[in-house]
Amino acid sequence: MRVATVKHPIPFRDWLLVALSVLLVTLTLFMARLEPLFQALFPDVSNPVYRRESFLQLTLDHLLLVLVSSLISVSVGVGAGLFVTRRGGREFEPMVSSMAAIGQTFPPAAVLAIVVPLAGFGFVPTVVALTLYGLLPVIQNTIAGLNTVPPATLEAARGIGMTQGQILRRVELPIAMRVIIAGVRVSVIINIGTATIGATVGAQSLGTPIIAGLVGNNIAYVIQGALLVGLLAIVSDLLFERLERRFTFGA
Amino acid sequence: MAHDRVPGDEERHTGSLVTNRVLLTLLVAALLGVVLLPFASMAPNRLMSGQAVGVTAAMLSWQWLALAGLAGILTACALSRPFPARLARWLTLTAAPLWLLLALYGLGDYASRALQDASPAARVSQGAAFWILVFCPILMIIDAFQRLGSSLAVRGLYSVVLVVLVGAMFAGDTFDALSIMREYANNKGTFTAEFLAHLRLVGLALGPALLMGLPLGLLARRHPTARGPLFGALNFFQTIPSIALFALLVAPLSALGEALPWLKAIGVGGIGAAPAVIALIMYSLLPVVRNTYAGFAGVPATTIEAARGMGMTSRQILWKIEVPLALPVILSGLRIVTVQAIGLTVVAALIGAGGLGAFIFQGLGQYAIDLVLLGAVPTIALAVVADFLLQILVALSKPAGMR
Amino acid sequence: MIELQGLTKIYGDKTVVDDVSLRVDSGEFGVLIGPSGCGKSTTLRMINRLIPASRGRILLGEDDITRLPVEQLRRRIGYAIQSIGLFPHWSVAKNIAVVPGLLKWPKSRIDERVDELMGLFHLDAGELRDKYPHQLSGGQAQRVGVARALAADPEVLLMDEPFGAVDPLTREVLQDELLRVHRHTRKTIIFVTHDMDEALKLASRIALLNAGRLVQYDRPIELLTRPANDFVRSFIGKADLGLKLLSRRWVHQYQQPATLRGASDESVRISGYAWEVDKEGRPVCLHGGRLHAEDTQERTGVTPEWSATPDMTMKEALSRMVWFRVMVLPVLDSEGRLVGEVTMHGVMGQQPCA
Repeated sequence: MRVATVKHPIPFRDWLLVALSVLLVTLTLFMARLEPLFQALFPDVSNPVYRRESFLQLTLDHLLLVLVSSLISVSVGVGAGLFVTRRGGREFEPMVSSMAAIGQTFPPAAVLAIVVPLAGFGFVPTVVALTLYGLLPVIQNTIAGLNTVPPATLEAARGIGMTQGQILRRVELPIAMRVIIAGVRVSVIINIGTATIGATVGAQSLGTPIIAGLVGNNIAYVIQGALLVGLLAIVSDLLFERLERRFTFGA
Repeated sequence: MAHDRVPGDEERHTGSLVTNRVLLTLLVAALLGVVLLPFASMAPNRLMSGQAVGVTAAMLSWQWLALAGLAGILTACALSRPFPARLARWLTLTAAPLWLLLALYGLGDYASRALQDASPAARVSQGAAFWILVFCPILMIIDAFQRLGSSLAVRGLYSVVLVVLVGAMFAGDTFDALSIMREYANNKGTFTAEFLAHLRLVGLALGPALLMGLPLGLLARRHPTARGPLFGALNFFQTIPSIALFALLVAPLSALGEALPWLKAIGVGGIGAAPAVIALIMYSLLPVVRNTYAGFAGVPATTIEAARGMGMTSRQILWKIEVPLALPVILSGLRIVTVQAIGLTVVAALIGAGGLGAFIFQGLGQYAIDLVLLGAVPTIALAVVADFLLQILVALSKPAGMR
Repeated sequence: MIELQGLTKIYGDKTVVDDVSLRVDSGEFGVLIGPSGCGKSTTLRMINRLIPASRGRILLGEDDITRLPVEQLRRRIGYAIQSIGLFPHWSVAKNIAVVPGLLKWPKSRIDERVDELMGLFHLDAGELRDKYPHQLSGGQAQRVGVARALAADPEVLLMDEPFGAVDPLTREVLQDELLRVHRHTRKTIIFVTHDMDEALKLASRIALLNAGRLVQYDRPIELLTRPANDFVRSFIGKADLGLKLLSRRWVHQYQQPATLRGASDESVRISGYAWEVDKEGRPVCLHGGRLHAEDTQERTGVTPEWSATPDMTMKEALSRMVWFRVMVLPVLDSEGRLVGEVTMHGVMGQQPCA
């Protein structure tokens, strides 16, 4: 084999991303076809595949929970991070950073539980909890990312006559983007997990078959839900990793 | 708490009236919360939702007037006159905890008064405004310390005094009439057992995670080729949602328990502590390994070269140079995993491992909100306290020359 | 004594050090110099076996260094690198005491040695003993680094660009101190630098390397006056070659008997200048000696700035003449007595004995 013909070998991680995505979609659509397999694995259960809701619907519900909360967290979080790194908001930076740091020590499951008495059961409290919790890594990384911009770079940008807006769009955000995306990645991954637990407060998600299986002592349901949600998290993580790589600028 | 930069040094130069906008914002938030949200709620029994009660209705007039007076002093602290900046901060550090204690006392006092001539099943719970009245003074205290740039020792001592004062209120009968404390009284024995079970699960996970993680981190430092696969695999586990990993371990472990009766005899089966501990170890490995690696990688190459040049053996370099210099980063990793494990153990209750999460999920199942809080609030407190203690340990582990 | 015999280092298919042979005698100050990537640091690190040699031998005194246990070898060789090599978690005293500690000296002897070395490097022991590296200035940290390298009284001192990270002023002071310490201890030193001025100032022998090969190994003056090839010439730099040369020559080599002023102005008329001396033989002023001969009536008062000592470099003496615009400079002994003079003519015309 001549080396010269190999241009850009597709990295292992990209292969993994494609393979796991295909697996995720296939399992979501055709889980019911695996009934004989689950029946063989768990001969004692009468209904080896979860059928109260289609897995497609459950996955979509799960994604909706994560998407809605993440969209809010990212817009509020990046906005807050920007505010406290501007001249007018600098005073709030230590306080906001502390809140983000302390808030992240709160267990996500406990936050979910705390929101219930304030917002009730179902979709809304889950989204509130996911949003609140997802906000913290985004804020923290936005501040950290913007603080990595070297002062000399900012001075150079001012020196060549860029406006504040141009400096933000063309210099600060591109440099900070990798760290900000890392924050969004952490936030989304945590939220995928917490949305699963959302099933215990009545939000339908991929956690629903897991909880149903644990309550009804049907391990097949547990495995079906866990498999899909695990795949969903890993595929999302790999996607974010690709996205981060686009902003590394050769570093 | 980790941020020691003092933001307000330019405030003396500005001529504006407001010198501490953070404090003022917190005061406005508290005011809005008190006006718009219920301070407490009263329900005919533990399962029904309650009726909202505002601050002025819940508190005796001297109580809410004192609260308003403290708010007035704090407002003055946020302004350029009459107090000089340093005095204003110490005044904040005095008024804010008083406010906090008053809010706590006010709630307990209201509960005992309201329940005096109500049916024995009636319950009084805290409302959203109560939480705001608790969190705002805590944030004010943090802000004041940040502006003063106080040392960790001063902050630690202050926190201990505050925790002791609040603890004394819990130990006394201030809150006994409150719904969450009634749940506690009803579940006293179970609470202690579950609390200890929680700590035991965390300990069972952290021990092996450290025993495996520290050598693996050193391995990653010494062998660059091992780094990629190792971090890839650990990150893979870290990414899988906790409940999914717990659940996925249930099936193989129950099969294992069936196949090997002696394993089942020592408690390894499908449901219970075994899958929880294994999953917790898997989650804990990444931060331990990553921080151990980062700690060793952070020791400057020139320092190590100098040590070799002086004629130190590899063992001497490891124990005299690398370990002392890497220790703060390694302990930061311990801080991360401890807090993380405390949180994840909540979820472990779903697969029957016990711990404080048991109250949360039991409460959610029964729609008994105060039982939920009996699990959630102590868990959060445990995580925050562990975080603070380990933060102090990290600070102490920094070699004298590097603090 | 250190001797390199056919020393070679090969990384993969790249020869970084190629068949280098040289010998630094006891008490000599050898400098390895060359452009970056020439292999000078690699050569240095092969001496204390931080890097294993691919081929060739290194002798430390009578011993082949590969025959000694590596840690013992390193404890016999002092090693100083840029200040970041100090251990950040240890106090100054503990840093200096590392090697004596490794050699298990008794505590009282270590303490004595630390005080002695801090004194030698003008480090105030009372103030600095318990300070940590990050609390030191660049110059202080550097002195501690060199003191640490000398702590166990090693036979040889290896120094890898030790003054690379300090400002030019401090660097000059540190160089002067190192020369003083070298005169005082007569240690064999091997010093790596890329700065030719530093090499000329410090070295008793300079080894110039290029692309892993030894190009020329000579005394500094030979390097300047008899460069082996064009590479040496270009590396020394043509622009201020004359000044570089003078930086390796000393006032005592150019010194002539002073022209004293007699009772009449006769001497001034003949030579254009003459010295007026007091009873103790200290010069008071110079008559004449200005650029234009007709200024014979001008007088220049002798000051510490406008005078030379026998061990001053000629570069500095010339600089003082140019600055004060006088063609002649008095040479004073340590008591301030006039022992001779150096002149502009002397600088230009005389071939000094090296």
